Parts: sequence; structure tokens; C-alpha cells
Amino acid sequence: MSGETGTHSKGTGLRVYAFAYLLFLYAPVALLPIFAFNDSQIIAFPLSGFTDRWFGELWEAEPLHESLMNSLFVGITSSVLATLLGICAARASTRYEFPGKKPMMGFVMLPLVLPEIIVGVAMINIIVQLGMDLSLWTVILGHVLICTPFAIAILSAAFASLDRSLEEASLDLGETRMGTFLRVTLPLVMPGIVSSLLICFTISLDEFIIAFFLTGADTTLPVYIWGQLRFPGRLPSVFALGTLMLLASLLLLTLGEYFRRRSARKTGIEHTAGGLV
Amino acid sequence: MAAPIITLEKVEKRFGDVVALGGVSGEIRAGEFFSLLGPSGCGKTTLLRCIAGFEDPTSGAIILDGKHMEGVPANHRPTNMVFQSYAIFPHLSVAENVGYGLKKQRISRAERAQRVEEALAMVDLAGYGHRASHALSGGQRQRVALARALVMRPKVLLLDEPLSALDKKLREQMQVELRRLQRAVGITFILVTHDQEEALTMSDRIAVMFGGQIAQLDTPQNLYRRPMSRQVASFIGFMNFLDAEIRADGGHSIDLDVAALGRVEVPSSQRPGKPNGRKVSVGIRPEMLTILMTDSETAEREIEAEVVDAAYYGDMTYYDVRFPGVAEPAQISMRNTAGRRILEAGDRARVGWSSESIVVLD
Repeated sequence: MSGETGTHSKGTGLRVYAFAYLLFLYAPVALLPIFAFNDSQIIAFPLSGFTDRWFGELWEAEPLHESLMNSLFVGITSSVLATLLGICAARASTRYEFPGKKPMMGFVMLPLVLPEIIVGVAMINIIVQLGMDLSLWTVILGHVLICTPFAIAILSAAFASLDRSLEEASLDLGETRMGTFLRVTLPLVMPGIVSSLLICFTISLDEFIIAFFLTGADTTLPVYIWGQLRFPGRLPSVFALGTLMLLASLLLLTLGEYFRRRSARKTGIEHTAGGLV
Repeated sequence: MAAPIITLEKVEKRFGDVVALGGVSGEIRAGEFFSLLGPSGCGKTTLLRCIAGFEDPTSGAIILDGKHMEGVPANHRPTNMVFQSYAIFPHLSVAENVGYGLKKQRISRAERAQRVEEALAMVDLAGYGHRASHALSGGQRQRVALARALVMRPKVLLLDEPLSALDKKLREQMQVELRRLQRAVGITFILVTHDQEEALTMSDRIAVMFGGQIAQLDTPQNLYRRPMSRQVASFIGFMNFLDAEIRADGGHSIDLDVAALGRVEVPSSQRPGKPNGRKVSVGIRPEMLTILMTDSETAEREIEAEVVDAAYYGDMTYYDVRFPGVAEPAQISMRNTAGRRILEAGDRARVGWSSESIVVLD
């Protein structure tokens, strides 16, 4: 076999592998909208006709609306808190040297690799021991814990790509430290902050295990969906819900990337300052 | 002599165990173009940053316009800086960049706009105010950085290697413009540079720094003609060194025995560094040695030598010649005037010199 045919067949093999890989990865997701519009309670082929009644069912399910509002509240609150903490930590780790910096940053990043079930069990133990009531706020506590490492990773990249002399120039021109942060630092790391908010919100929105352990009377959306899975008749409307959530996350990610690119273009920063893609 | 705008008193700066500044003292006069010149790591940028207020000296004092600067933060000092990276705010327009510092001052919007426009005109960027700052070329960014600092009307303008990022032609053009600008505004400029030519052509006075110390603070002419140490002599331009011995030191003049050149008596002004001991060295610049091409040419002193190498540069020819009894060849530069011969390696040459062209060094 000549070398040329060898590389050619190898290239074809890789292409088939890549295609199969993508199919395996995304085909189940593609099933969501298909069965959301299928006129049957049984999730199986062949399809039995088009309907939008599952979406109508969603519209009428009161507990679903509540859990959606709960999830939005938890998602927004934890992403804002995690991003605020992330700004402080990223700023400290990129600008200052202090004793114990490495182990400290290591501990902050630990939840990235810690199994969530362990975090969940540990937290519920402590919360019960402390005599606190389980509520949406305990879920937020858990979500801030797992979101903060992501926020720090994204924001560290944004802060690290910021030229230090820009802040010095601002001080040199008579601006205070606070004014410098507001007029120079913040606008320049804004793409990173938006990315961090979006990522944390997405993580919080579909997080199940910690929410399952720490939730009280009010449930979040994933916990509600899990509860619905016990009733086979509700399955199609869960698929309808999944379809809507898929659309919403695609919209959010597109929006986030649009704003990041626009600001990158405006400031002429070539590198991705903590962007998503 | 103008009064000092900045007085440095034993300024010392340590970063952990590293001594960046080892007790620097000196005065910078109001209205002069002052340069801090030295190789990288000599502490020149650290000294500039101490004056700007970005670093606090470990000990010693910086007195700026009669006031002690200890504890005064950068935003309260009457200095402004042009950064090496220019540090143009990428999210602001040219006019917003230049007007950045004015926003903190209590002046009307109309006056602010007028001062921004004046500052832009001063650096030949009139009408560029609405441009996005990231669309500017390197030379234009440099001008915006200058305008942004000058619009603040600082007592001292600090320039941290502002020309090092520009290409050669633009750099030479900016050297002339910076000098012109400094004369026009009359503000004290302090320039940090590692380029000795840049420092010589632009400065009223230069502080040459090595290892966190000022080795010599002098005018460009004195630095070149009367360097105080071998280190300064070889950092600024090229210098030939010959071993020498002091035979008699008469206070006003010194009697020397120089290797190859022989006995010579020079006034003590040609020994600016006051080296100790009898074993010294003598420095002589390549252009202070002349190859006497015809018998009719004569010099105060003459010596026979052998051409080791000749490099023809068009306007100049650079010769390496060996003096009898001296291993290291000496460099001689000769202007290629009309009809002047070009010698080749192996030729014998008569080299002329004069006693006032040598300097006695450590």
C-alpha cells in the first residue's frame, strides 16, 4: 500500500469515527423535540402524529410554574453570588502574592472535582446539625459552592489578560483605586463577568443532586422533573419542557457569545478574555 | 543653575533579598530633559516608578517640588507617566483617553474639550478625538499617551522607554519631536532608556546607572569625553583602553607612562574619576586616533602601528590596529573624505593622537 492511499483511508476512518461520535452525543437530544410533538403517551417509534397538547399541559401545570420560578431565583442568585466571589478571588490570585496562596486557591477550586453527592450529603448533615431549615437558600448555598470554581476559572483568564499598566495609568492620571476599578478594570473584564454569570446560571439551572438533598418544601425544576418521571403519562410533557429548556439555553449561549464578541471588537482585544467558545 | 524639582536622598528599594536601588542620591533640575540610562536590571525603571508613586522606597527620601513624597499615592503626585506599553484604554476613544484625568478635576465640559483638543494638536493628532483608540498605529498610540499625560500639566513628565516599541525611522523622528515638545512646554522630562545614543541626543543631563547605583550624573558631552569609570566609558560609545602608570601626580597635572603611547602629561581635569593607585588605564575614543595617510600630515604625537583589520562602511572606515607591545588591537574610525586612501590588513600605519584626547580611568 502506498503512503498516499494509507493516509487517505486513515482520514476517512477518522471522519467516520467523528461523525459517529457526534451522532451518539447529540441524537438523544434530538429525540427531545421529536417526542415532544408526538401524539402518544408512549415514547417509542413509530410516531403516531403531530400534537402540541403536551405544551398545553405544561401551560396548565401550576407546580411546574412554581418550580420554574424557584429555579430562576436560585439560578440568578447563585450566579450573581458566585461571580461576585469569583471577581474577588480572581483579582486576588492574579494581582497579589500572599502566603498560602497556592493551597488556598486549590481548596477554592476543589468542588470542581468533588462528587456532588458527597457535597450534598455533607452539607445536609451540617445544615441539620446547625438547626437550619431546608429552603431555596440552602440550595443557593450549595450551588454557590459548586459554581464559584467555574466563576474563578473564567474570571482569572479575564483578569490575567488585563494589562497591569492600564490600572497604573488610571491612578497616575489622578483617579482613585475605586474609580480605577469602576472606570477601567470593570469595563475591560465585563465579557468575563457576563460569561461567568451565564455559565453559573446554566450550572445551577440543571443541577439535580445537591438541589435534591438541600431542597425543602419548594423544589427546583430538575427536582420537579425527577418527581414527574414516576408517572409515565407525564413523560411527553417532560419532553416538551426539555425542548423549551434546550431552546432557552441555546438562546442564552448565543446571546452571551454575541455580547462577548461585540465587546472584544469594540475594545480591540484579540484574545478571548474569558469567553465561552 | 535652575532649582531642583526633584531631590533624591539615598533612595533604596529592595524586593525581598534583591536590591533594586542601592541608595541613589541626586538632583533633577526644573525644566531639564533628564535621562536615566543603563542596561536592563540597573534599577532605572524602579527609580522612575518610585518617583511616580507606583513603588515605595524601602528607605531614603524623594522630595518633589519641595514636598516629601513618602505616603503620597500616585494619584496625588504632580507627575504623569508615559508607559512603555502606552497603556491606552482600549474601551475609550482617543478624546476620552486624553480627557480621562481631567474628568476628576472640577472644570467645565467645554474647557475640558478645549484642553483635550489643544493637547491633541500639540502631538499632531488634531481631529483624531473621535477615533477608536484600538485602531491607532504604534506611533499614534504613543502620541495619545503623551497628550494624555501633558494635558494634566504635570510638574514632571515620566517616560518609561517610550520609543523602544517603535521601528528605527519612527523612533528617530519621535526623538526629535519629544525634544521639541519638551522645549515648547518647558516641563521637566525624565526619560528611562537603555539606548545610549537616544540619551545623548535628547538629554540635558544623564544619570548612568549600574547595579542600582548612579555611576555618573553629567551632561552628554562630559559623559562621553570625561567618563569617570571604565564601566561608564565602555557603556557610552566605544572606548579603547591602554594600561598606564602614574609617574608623578602634581595636583594640577599628572605625569603618565602609557603602554605603547609613552610618557605624557595631562591636566587633572582629564582624570574625572580620581582613581586610586599608580596602576591605571587610559581611555581614548576611536575618532580621537587618526591614521596619517601622507607624509605632510602631522599630529601632536605619533606612533607606528600595524593594520589588523579594516571594515569599509561607505562614509566611514573602521580599522583595528595593533600598537607595538599591546596585545589588544585598538579601534580607529576614519571619515572617508575625498581622495583619502583605504588601508588594508597588514599595512603599516602612522597613528596620530593628542594628549588632550585621553582620559585617565580606573
